[in-house]
Amino acid sequence: MFRVMRTPIVPERLMRAVRDPAAGAVVVFLGTTRNRNAGRRVVRLEYEAYGRMAVAEMRRLAARAERRWPLRKVAMAHRIGLVPIGQASVAIAVAAGHRAEAFAACRWLIDRLKAIVPIWKREHFRGGRVWIGPQSGAPRRRARAARRPGAR
Amino acid sequence: MRVRLRFFAALREQLGARAERSVEPGTTVGALWRSLVAERPELARIRVRFAVNETYVEPAHRLVDGDEVAFFPPVSGGA
Repeated sequence: MFRVMRTPIVPERLMRAVRDPAAGAVVVFLGTTRNRNAGRRVVRLEYEAYGRMAVAEMRRLAARAERRWPLRKVAMAHRIGLVPIGQASVAIAVAAGHRAEAFAACRWLIDRLKAIVPIWKREHFRGGRVWIGPQSGAPRRRARAARRPGAR
Repeated sequence: MRVRLRFFAALREQLGARAERSVEPGTTVGALWRSLVAERPELARIRVRFAVNETYVEPAHRLVDGDEVAFFPPVSGGA
């Protein structure tokens, strides 16, 4: 199961998708929307995806993880649209024979997802909203510039 | 030849979600981006990534007829 979805993520669906009688461990990671970032109170988050490429990149990441660790199954889901605070915006489930590779692969997958999968986050706060990430500006200062309200 | 363009996040807000464009055979993705920047100089300060037919490519990647070319800022998914 590899999905980009507008509806809430149901972790049990990912757990069901990776069910495997040869698995001795299932690790599930949920990334949840936080009410504070960079010292600012966030009221909700919004995600946009290049949907088909995002799913294709998720599949490529899972295939790479399966080459690197002896895994049984992988499932990944990312939510798009407006997401209230405290809900899951991303979920990854990894089933493996043993817990060490399940934990390691799940950690690697969320790190790579954040770096590669074409999805963008926009924070909404009182008085504005801003795209997150180094979207513009000079290389050394772009992270700060992108977080400034109104900066592109 | 014709290529389809797609824009995301901050770029979508400036250029719209989709466009089409005629380019000379052999045009690279980077050259296509420079032609967009030439029309809209404010784009010059945007950091951009390129994908062709849903796969990341380098600026030197050469386009062929019918390609879907996506331009987008560095990604920021996750929680």
